[in-house]
Formats: sequence, structure tokens, C-alpha cells
Amino acid sequence: MQQNLRKKLKTQLFRILKMIKKEFRLIKIDPWNLLIALLIPPGIILLFAFMTEEAGDPAPLPVIVVSNDSNTFINPNNYTSSTWDNYTIPYLKAVNKSNLLDLKGYYNSTNEPYSMEMARQELLIGNINTIIVIPIEFTELLQLGYPGIIECIIDSSRVSKIQDNINAVYDSIQIFVRDNNLSPQFELKVFEKFSVPSNYNLGLNANFIKLLPLMVFGIANVLTILVIVKENPISRLLLTPVKKSEILLSKYITYSAVLLVQDLGIISAALASGLYIRGSIFELFGAIYIIGYSGISMGLFISSLSKSKTEANQLFFASFIIIILLSGLFVPLGSMPIYLNLFAQILPLSHANPLVNSVLSKGNSIFEYHFYVLLFVSLALNIITFLVFYKRRYEV
Amino acid sequence: MKNKSPKNLVVNVKNLEVFFKKKQIINNVSFQVYKGEIIGLFGISGAGKTTIIRVLTCQIKKKHWKGIVTVTNITPGKKQNNSKILEKIGYVPQLELLNLYYDLSPLVNVEIFASNYGIKKDNALKIARDLFKILDIPEDTWNNPLKNLSGGEKKRVSMAIGLIHKPSVLFLDEPTTGVDANKRYDILNYLKKLNRKLGTTMFIITHDLEAALVCDKTAILREGKLLEFDTPYKLISSLASDGQLVRFTIENLDEKIIKKIKQYPLCKDISRTGNNVIEVFIQDLEQNYSNLIEYIINNNIKIISMSRDIANFRRYFQLRIKEEEEKEFKEK
Ligand SMILES: Nc1ncnc2c1ncn2[C@@H]1O[C@H](COP(=O)(O)OP(=O)(O)OP(=O)(O)O)[C@@H](O)[C@H]1O
Ligand SMILES: [Mg+2]
Repeated sequence: MQQNLRKKLKTQLFRILKMIKKEFRLIKIDPWNLLIALLIPPGIILLFAFMTEEAGDPAPLPVIVVSNDSNTFINPNNYTSSTWDNYTIPYLKAVNKSNLLDLKGYYNSTNEPYSMEMARQELLIGNINTIIVIPIEFTELLQLGYPGIIECIIDSSRVSKIQDNINAVYDSIQIFVRDNNLSPQFELKVFEKFSVPSNYNLGLNANFIKLLPLMVFGIANVLTILVIVKENPISRLLLTPVKKSEILLSKYITYSAVLLVQDLGIISAALASGLYIRGSIFELFGAIYIIGYSGISMGLFISSLSKSKTEANQLFFASFIIIILLSGLFVPLGSMPIYLNLFAQILPLSHANPLVNSVLSKGNSIFEYHFYVLLFVSLALNIITFLVFYKRRYEV
Repeated sequence: MKNKSPKNLVVNVKNLEVFFKKKQIINNVSFQVYKGEIIGLFGISGAGKTTIIRVLTCQIKKKHWKGIVTVTNITPGKKQNNSKILEKIGYVPQLELLNLYYDLSPLVNVEIFASNYGIKKDNALKIARDLFKILDIPEDTWNNPLKNLSGGEKKRVSMAIGLIHKPSVLFLDEPTTGVDANKRYDILNYLKKLNRKLGTTMFIITHDLEAALVCDKTAILREGKLLEFDTPYKLISSLASDGQLVRFTIENLDEKIIKKIKQYPLCKDISRTGNNVIEVFIQDLEQNYSNLIEYIINNNIKIISMSRDIANFRRYFQLRIKEEEEKEFKEK
């Protein structure tokens, strides 16, 4: 019994290996697709390495304001204590009024002891660019006629955005001073977080996050959309003992192997051109890999669904355009209507950028929300693809 | 000759019925095929030839058919059974275009298909070379992309692939369609040759009635019913006068003349086979031959030439189908 099973597994393994060999043979017939997949991403990275500036976008910058103003302030000169906070709300109003800032939240540390931690968490995830901190002596200084102080912690991983952030915070201060008839003398203390060290390629980091996920996903898609639909002899293969699952599995294995090579190329090119990776290089590899895998999953799904090559191409274009438009690259997910936002959440590309950003510039582990969504979406596509392929009729 | 012991029973079909969405496609079909036989499956388009073969090759789900079917003593239907049957049978589909890797060479195609039976590369190539030689596939094409081969060569490569695992039964769907007229006989001869050398049982679905020449048994299907299943010789002998006929070439042949000849009391059948040519079957041809000629001449019909012959399978097929149509017409 057991020997039988072992023999069965052995022949199955033999068949799968041979089917994988067949896939590589089919790839070799038309090697252009493969070359494009392997050479374009590293090539683009090298090209972009020479480009130092990233294009800015004029959208308001998301911020959280944390106020310490109502905490007990002890005057170091006369040791009197005070909890004045009359100017907190007027400043908040100014932030709200500024066109350059988008107030995402306000925490008062008097009521909420973990205000700072919560705000930092948001900065880490990438929901906000800046934390504006209203210091404890804010109202006291202004009431006594001293120049006011505002502190801010800026996500400086995107170099060109640093100045934008500072300008935006200044904008809120100007509005505040004007509206409250205060002396325009003000001090802004800036703390940078997630900076790319200056000996690395600052521009590349920014572009890498924007371009790479789209490129990896798209290329994996293109590589696989025709793989099932154009292989006519499958119908005859199915009149041999080979199983549908073995045919399909060998396709996943083959293209996963291609992805490995592609990722090695990408990482090498990125390192060679001075990409700064705050997190671990293996985790970045993993992040790129899962994005590519979701592309393969999407591609094979389209291929299993299509009746002809033309149909596969059309389906690819339609789905790819939707996936790009709703990826958050053009329109931030947050500003979409709720139903579009929910739909965008199940599209792979919406999670690809945040994942790469998080690993590359924040140094987070890949094993977080976006990774799991990508994994889940890919596996769901895999399961549906198997079902569709099982239902697909092959006649000789 | 062929041994009809149960041990040698390769395909057994008993009371097979096939339904698609309540529509009955195959109606109570039964036949037995023994080791080494070549079976020709004939019938006009839509008769159900492909459907029967698809039952035998595990391509139709069990819920669509009823009856007893065994192929190499295994019943198709269950998953494990299907894979056991698929190991033992070969299939040569009608269109190579859709069923072979056109950009790969014949030998690579062989390797891919052979691997599914667990045959290692070296072994597969050895068997393939032997088969290619039997089939006269030019050696300099073995490593070229398949798309560069001629139609007949592709067909033969396809046959070789169907035989790569030495199957007990080989199913061929229209092996001669799309091949030019004189190559058709070549293909049929190759099949006969392979059948003799390897002892492979073969099923040939075809519209090409000439193919009966190489068949041990012929099956005639009409609208899902099996009309006949026997050797072509026996079928032809079942005609009047054991299938002997007289062929006349007649001046100004028309329907009126044919009708007149049909009125000859012993006339069994007439078929028009050319502009001026008819073939006439009569009862006891030997005794009544001169009588028939007398009758024709007496009716002022001018005979240009005449000859005696034995009906071929094509003629038998036509008469048999006509007979069935007339029977059906009367029933209505
Ligand atoms: N899957 C199906 N669903 C419904 N009807 C079917 C199906 N497959 C075949 N048929 C019908 O069954 C009948 C027999 O078809 P089949 O393909 O067996 O004919 P055939 O004898 O092989 O004809 P041909 O010589 O044209 O290939 C046809 O009327 C066809 O329309
Ligand atoms: Mg058919």
C-alpha cells in the first residue's frame, strides 16, 4: 500500500519535472518575453539612478497634531506652574485652514498619555508625513510675549518632500499668526525621521518605490497571460495520464523560478546604483517577489479564463488599467468613494507600493498587513484559476 | 488468426446509451473488439462516431452515459480508472495543428508526450526512431520544428506519438482527411503495417470509405444506432447475389430509364455511379444475367458497355444507409 503510494508520487514528480522542462522549452521558442522580464526592471533602475529629483505632487500633506500644551508647565525661572492652553485650538484651526496640510488627527497628550506613540505609528505606516507637536509652554510663551515654538517630526525618507513639509507647517504658522494678531517671530524645530543617508542615491529611493511595483506586477502579467490559452496541445496531453493539476502546477513553478532570477537582477541593479534599504535586503527581496507572484497569479488567471489569445489580451488591458487607476498611484485611496476604495483594497497593486515603501524606507518587516493581503489575493486567484482550469473543456 | 477468447477482449460495449441534456445521441450500441483487430467506424456526419470514441477514451462524464463499457477490462468513469485506461490507450486526433507543439521538433514532441507515461528520454527517443523509420519520416526532419514538415509527415509524427507507449488500443480520428488522394492509401498502409508489427488494436473513425480496405471489421452508425458490425467481406456478401453486380454504361441515361430497369422483376437495387453509369443488383445473378440484358434491350435502352463486378464497401454503405432511410420513411 505504502509502496504503491510512493511509486505513484514518484511518477507524479517525474511528470511534473518533465512538464516544467516543457514550459522552459516553450519559453525558449519565444525568448523575447523572458528577456524583457529579466532585463527591463534592472535596466530601468539603472536609468533612474541618474535621475536625482523625483516629481513632486501638490496634494496636501497628511499630518497629525499632538498637543502637550495643557500639560503642567513649570517655569524654570520662578518655578510657578501653569496649564494654559488658550492657543491650542486657534493653532489647530490654522492647520485646518492651510491648503498645504491635511489634518488627519489631533491628540491631546493630557488626556491621552500615548499620543506620541500613536502618532509615530501612523508615521511608520505611512498614513501621515509629519507630526506637528505643540510644546508644553506654547500658550505660556505667547501670552508672555515671547516668540512661539512649534516642533515637527518629518518623514524624510523622500528627500524632495522634506522642504515641502517644512513649508506646509510654516504655512499653518503664518495663518495662525495672522489670525491671532501675534508677533510673527516664531521658531520651528524640525526633527527628521527615516532620512536616507547622504552617501546613498536619494532620488532612486523615491522612484524605486513608485515605479518598481508597477513594473514587476505588469511584467509578470504580460509574461503569463498567454501561457494557458495558447498551449493547444493541452487537449492531447490530457489524453495521457498527466493530470490537469500537474500541468498547471508546473506552470506556477516555472514562472516562480523566472521571478527569482528577475528579483536577483532587480536587487543587484538597485544595490549597484546606490539604493538605500533601511530594512533587510531579504525582506525587500520578499516584497518584490510577492508582488511579482501576484502578477503571475493574475496573468495565469486571465489565461485560464480566456478562450483565445485576443480575448486574453483584451482582458489583460482592461484589468491592468483598472488595477493601475485604482492602485493609489494616481488617486489616493483615501479620497476615493467608499465602494471604490473597498474594491481597490482587493487589487494587488494597491498594496504593492505601501509594502515596498514600508520595507525599503521605514525598515519595517514585510510580514505586515499589505504582505498578507497580497498573499491572500494571490492564493485566492490561484484557487480560482485551478477551478476555472478544471472546468475548462478540452476536446480533441 | 484472431483469437476470440475473453482474454483477448480489448473493448467491450454493451447497450451503450449516451445522453446530452435529455437528447439521446447513442442508442443501444453493442460490439466487441479483440486484440489486434482494426475497426473502421463509418457513418455520415453527426452519426455519433466521435461520441462513442469519446466514451471509450474517458472524455465523457459517467453521468452522460449508460450501459456496460470496458476498455482493456477497465470501465471508464471513475478518476483512477480513467488514468489506468489512459495509460493503455493512444489517441491520434484529427488536427495536428491543435494537438502538437508546432515550434518544437518531432523528437522533442515525442519526449514531452512520452514523459507523461513515465518513459525516460533515451528510451522514448529509441522507440520514436523505430516508429519514425517504419513510418518513413525523413531523418533530416526529426530535429526540425514540426511546422516545417509536410501535412502527411505531421500526420505520421502524430501517429508515432500515439504509439510511443505501446498502447493496447490506438484511436484515430479521421486519419486520412486533409491528406491528398494518393497519400491516403499510404497512411492506411502504414496503419496496417504498424498493426501487423506491433499487434496494436486500432479504431479508425473516418468518412473515407476506402479505409474499409484495411479494416478487419467495419461498424456502420446512423443517428446513434449501430446498423452493422462485421467484416467488410461478410457485409458485402449479404447483398443480393453475394454482392455481385452488373455495371452498364447507357446512352442518354435518365431517371425514366432507371425507373424502367427497376421494374425488372428480379431487380434488387440500382445505384447511379456516374453520368451514364449504373450498377444493378439482381437476385441470382448467375442464372438471370442474360435475362436482364434481354429485358433492357427489349425496352429500347441502348447499352454502350457493360461489365460484371463485386460491390465495394462504398456501394454497400450507400445501399445500407438507403435501406435504413426507406425503412424509416415507411414507418412514418
Ligand atoms: N457535448 C455535446 N452536447 C450536445 N450534443 C452533442 C455533444 N457532443 C455531440 N453532440 C451531438 O451528438 C451528435 C453526434 O455527434 P458526433 O460528434 O459523435 O458525430 P460524428 O459521427 O463524429 O460526426 P462527424 O463525422 O461530423 O465528426 C451530433 O448531433 C452532435 O450535435
Ligand atoms: Mg466526429
